Amino acid sequence: MSSNDRPPYVESTIIMTTVRFVAPFVLTLGLFIMFHGAESAGGGFQGGVVVGTVILMLAFAFGIEAVRAWLNPTAILGLIASGVLVFLAIGFGSVALDGAFLEYHAYEQLGIHHASGYGIELVELGIGAIVTGVIIGLFFVISAGFDPAEGEEEDLL
Amino acid sequence: MTLTLLEAAILLFVIGSAVTAALLRDVLGSIIAFAGYSLGIAILWVYLQAPDVALTEAAVGAGVMTLLFLLTLVRTVRPPSDELLESVGWRGATAGGALAAALLTTVPSLPAIGDPDAPVVAGEVTQYYLDNAYGETEVENVVTAVLAAYRGFDTLGEAVVVFAAGVAVLVVLRQGEFV
Repeated sequence: MSSNDRPPYVESTIIMTTVRFVAPFVLTLGLFIMFHGAESAGGGFQGGVVVGTVILMLAFAFGIEAVRAWLNPTAILGLIASGVLVFLAIGFGSVALDGAFLEYHAYEQLGIHHASGYGIELVELGIGAIVTGVIIGLFFVISAGFDPAEGEEEDLL
Repeated sequence: MTLTLLEAAILLFVIGSAVTAALLRDVLGSIIAFAGYSLGIAILWVYLQAPDVALTEAAVGAGVMTLLFLLTLVRTVRPPSDELLESVGWRGATAGGALAAALLTTVPSLPAIGDPDAPVVAGEVTQYYLDNAYGETEVENVVTAVLAAYRGFDTLGEAVVVFAAGVAVLVVLRQGEFV
């Protein structure tokens, strides 16, 4: 399949205006769910998906190709990798401070009060970054489709 | 088990949209019915007092999955057909009937919602988490406390699974980056 048999993007003022109005609120809700997972329902997995849908909404309103050109591919990959690294760093950091793996209270000897609460918040943000990046990535990868290289069709069928 | 009118309506809606999603021949209609099904299930989770699961179901099931299905549908060809419904073979009907029978006989023997004598409420582990979660982890939401502190290592595994799934998609599609 080539890219020119994709249905053309049709500009719709209603959808564009709605998305432009709703997107900041959805982004705020997503971040709220991520940050507030410690006190109420929510957390990194749920908040990450909601933050990711902001980009999906923009793509539906302003055209997938336009948003694809606007996004920085390295930033998406970096977002996913940084999420994993934050989680691992918090886990191994407590080992370095003579605690067990992911033992948040080990950070209290650095003078951080409520280290456990903050540690859990950071872990949730890391999870959120992974989920947001993967949701955005999956969306654009699927929308681009897969074009088998020459001579590969027989392997696939 | 008594149902309020609203609960009965949502249950009916969920079953109706599930059957519609399974039977409709038009894939686009199926996807829309499936999104409705996910939304109904999400509301049911709220009734079952599981807001964390409800949030996930609403965001992933009703939101993102529908978009991904639609994107996939755009790139496929649908054979034109005059029939509205998919024909159901006897094998499918038997398998579906057997699964429904198994669920209908086992689910009613679960303890009622909010039953104080239910093993999960009266259990030692639950009580330990409820008593000590805030003191030990400084997080008010016990679900988050279990997820990120008591079972933090498992959650690291889950996060890495999501990460690995993203990487696997890139590897299979032989692409270097997502966008």
